Amino acid sequence: MRYDCIIIGAGVAGLTAGIRCAKEGLHTAIISSGMSALHFSSGSIDLLGYRDNAVVYKPFEAIDQLTGTIAQHPYTKCGKPLIIEALLFFKQECEQQGLFLFDNGNLNHFHVTTLGTLKPTYFSQRSVFNEDVYSRFKAMKKIVIINFEGYRDFHPQLAAAQLSKHSLFANCEIVAKQIEMPQLQDDGKYPHEFRSIDIARIFEKEANIEKIADLIRLAAKDADFVVMPAVMGITNFNQIHNKLQSRTRLLVYEVPTLPPSILGMRIDNALKSRFAELGGVYIAGDKVVRADITDDVVNAIYTNSHPENPMEAQCYILSTGSFFSGGLVSEFDNMYEPIFKLKLHHEPERNKWYNQNFFHRDSHAFLQYGVLTDESLRPYDSNNNIIQNLYCSGAIMAHYNPIKEGCGSGVAISTGYKAAGQIINLLKRMS
Amino acid sequence: MKTLEAEVIVIGGGATGCGVLRDCTLRGIDAILIEKNDIASGTTGRNHGLLHSGARYAVRDLESATECIKENRILKKIAWHCIEPTGGLFVTLPEDDPNYHNRLLEACRFAGIDAKEISVKKALSIEPNCNPNILSAIWVPDGTIDPFRLTSANILDSIERGAHVFTHTQVERIMLKQNQVIGVQCYDKTAGEYLEIYAPIIVNASGVWGQHICKTAGIELKMFPSKGSMVIIDYRINNVVVNRCRVPSDGDIIVPGDTVSLIGTTSRKIPYDTIDELVVDDDEIDVLLSDGEKLIPNVSRARVLRAYCGVRPLIAVSGEMDGRDISRGVVLIDHKERDNVQGLITIAGGKLMTYRLMAEMTTDLIAKKLGNSKRCLTYKIPLPGSEKRVGYTKKIKYFSGIPNSVVGSTHYRHGERVHNILSLKKRNYGLICECEMVTLGEVEYAIKNLKVNDIVDLRRRTRIGMGPCQGELCAYRAAGLFTEFGDFTPDESTKLLMDFLEERFKGVKPVLWGDGLREFEFTYWIYQGLFGLGLVEDNNT
Repeated sequence: MRYDCIIIGAGVAGLTAGIRCAKEGLHTAIISSGMSALHFSSGSIDLLGYRDNAVVYKPFEAIDQLTGTIAQHPYTKCGKPLIIEALLFFKQECEQQGLFLFDNGNLNHFHVTTLGTLKPTYFSQRSVFNEDVYSRFKAMKKIVIINFEGYRDFHPQLAAAQLSKHSLFANCEIVAKQIEMPQLQDDGKYPHEFRSIDIARIFEKEANIEKIADLIRLAAKDADFVVMPAVMGITNFNQIHNKLQSRTRLLVYEVPTLPPSILGMRIDNALKSRFAELGGVYIAGDKVVRADITDDVVNAIYTNSHPENPMEAQCYILSTGSFFSGGLVSEFDNMYEPIFKLKLHHEPERNKWYNQNFFHRDSHAFLQYGVLTDESLRPYDSNNNIIQNLYCSGAIMAHYNPIKEGCGSGVAISTGYKAAGQIINLLKRMS
Repeated sequence: MKTLEAEVIVIGGGATGCGVLRDCTLRGIDAILIEKNDIASGTTGRNHGLLHSGARYAVRDLESATECIKENRILKKIAWHCIEPTGGLFVTLPEDDPNYHNRLLEACRFAGIDAKEISVKKALSIEPNCNPNILSAIWVPDGTIDPFRLTSANILDSIERGAHVFTHTQVERIMLKQNQVIGVQCYDKTAGEYLEIYAPIIVNASGVWGQHICKTAGIELKMFPSKGSMVIIDYRINNVVVNRCRVPSDGDIIVPGDTVSLIGTTSRKIPYDTIDELVVDDDEIDVLLSDGEKLIPNVSRARVLRAYCGVRPLIAVSGEMDGRDISRGVVLIDHKERDNVQGLITIAGGKLMTYRLMAEMTTDLIAKKLGNSKRCLTYKIPLPGSEKRVGYTKKIKYFSGIPNSVVGSTHYRHGERVHNILSLKKRNYGLICECEMVTLGEVEYAIKNLKVNDIVDLRRRTRIGMGPCQGELCAYRAAGLFTEFGDFTPDESTKLLMDFLEERFKGVKPVLWGDGLREFEFTYWIYQGLFGLGLVEDNNT
């Protein structure tokens, strides 16, 4: 089987690239080794939240500055017009699957975290931040933050205390409430098995929604606004959200929780479904282990399950993520990219990889390590030659710190979109 | 200012100080203990957790070896829930002096340690991961001991018998009236207040920090701090303690403990003024891993979880010497004899193994000074948790309905006190820390009963956050429970969470590669990326 394009890795970067390629009619496969970082994410799409430790309010202006100063940054390689195009593309493709994203035009907006801090982001799901919330944010008098008894991955009292410190809520009463959901207790399960997914499944049963809505209403009767952990279902979340709001006659709003992230799973589902709908081939649970390269061209790749059968394509995209996802590997005295043995940007001495404190203001150096690429996102091999038909996207790329800059998803979307565009153009020229 | 009175003040909440407190309390002496951080947070909690048979000292220090084997037998009775009697091996590598084997056997015989030569084949069947090229092997009654549990049990028993304990309280100075001590001035860091405690007898059991304590009374006492570093392997790769059969040196012991194994230790002399800022050096890690590799091949390829170090409290009686050369024997100083200061006693040197004996010697001296004629009972009265020994299977049956793994872990950590912790309410046994099977009930019990001031203390009582993920999810879960079960505001709980992650990172960063780096990236992603925890202080301003 020969593809036009094989994408290794199914995170935001790989799926964005896959959708774009498939939409152009390319015969596209994505190989996924497991759950992507979306399952651990906030479910909001951060574009550029911080520059030099200061909050960014106008991300596109900040991107202009950044691309003017940091030549190696993935955003510089993409350029602002392409980033804007990529974001719009991503938003529309998600909408195709019924996942609506809120944005604030030229501005970042702030979503409330598990802990009650406010974080700048660009897209949020409608149940997380929407026009209603936006317009009433400053006039709120009472916010109730609720949790469900037995769920250990959200502490409303910590969130309430943190949120109330913010000047936006200076005149607002913020209280924490626990709700006992009978469904949670009667399941016959051990309570330590309750994770966000278990509660989301309770929400997904239509018969439960009204009962839960009434409990929320009871706990938050005089509030303007209810904040709850993000467990409003994985698939039919729009209906659940609407029903909860109409029955409680309150604004109900989700905040991300400890993993697994229901919000992230919704995006993951939407992107995967969209890719399948466009005719893409999704290969789950297999891992690419090596590649066959001659004269700077990748001929084939081999996977764990099929170590002898090559998978071939005209072009390849590498979007295997950073260390956490296995895209980069570190050892006692070494770092490498395991599939193609690409040239990396990193310090050789391991004591340079980190800073002295966990919460050091300069974050940690290893988060910026990764694969070096040219302007078209093609990587270099260990002999400093560009590999002609391989493109990189997402967290495997060097020269940006997704957490410190608050730009992980934005870079993934932009570079995934750009990598796909490069391949589309190349194949067009060839035919 | 708050003032208190007692017969005895014990300074230092390590094993020795807590042992003295308990011994006093059992003899009806009214005692107060003061610790500047948490109990077992100094040298006590920073060793390899070896229940010595004494064999490691037998060749060079017969006295220490004899003390070890005696205490080994006592501790197995009074503190069985803190101990795993795994047994241990001394193996000779091809590069080692083959004669040491016989010298060790002979020395053990003198010290009364039941050491026996076993065949290489037998040794490898006991410890299949051991280097197959060993030339000879000796079996000894080594084991493992949990220093946190042991110290905590001493404290718990003392408190239940009426003693008072102040943790996170710093002694500012010893107060004197002419040549007689009359008490201490201290600062309670948690409450943010000063207090004065009056007593005619003060025991300086603050280990290497004792030099400073003595100085506040105008006494010079010279310590020679020697740093020992260890690395923790994230799997229990050995069944029994594996020692190298040679003169003790760096990287020659691997101790299994709970869910992990430890490679120990290095020995480096350090300046006294650095004892509060110890760091593990990169080259120490290199030595420990490469020498550990000789005992158990491939150990360095297993995931390394943490590295940490402690400081040995050695008092040199004459001249400066190398850390390993100074006797680890017990030093009991009556400062009335030495410095003409009445009522002050320093107990130092020794080892975790001999904490009870050291406490007995100290309390004998206290009793003599007070005219108390009661005899020491600590060698026979079991510690809380070790009251009676009931098997795992019986406990599982008793708590049927609660998952076996939860009952097993709680019983393993708290012995008979499992009955004060577990209940059939579902909420009680909901898991907070999956790695170490720590339940909500155990956290509640610890916060309410075991002198827990923060998540770091909680870790020492329950093992929360000590497993493979190093507090990735449980740190947040536990933080919230401090608001529920303790006297903490939500803001304080959030601060505890930050402090805990910083504390865990200290041990993670020297070994930040491989899966450890992946795990850290994930943890950082959650707490900084998802939570914005590092922004909390920015947010406040």
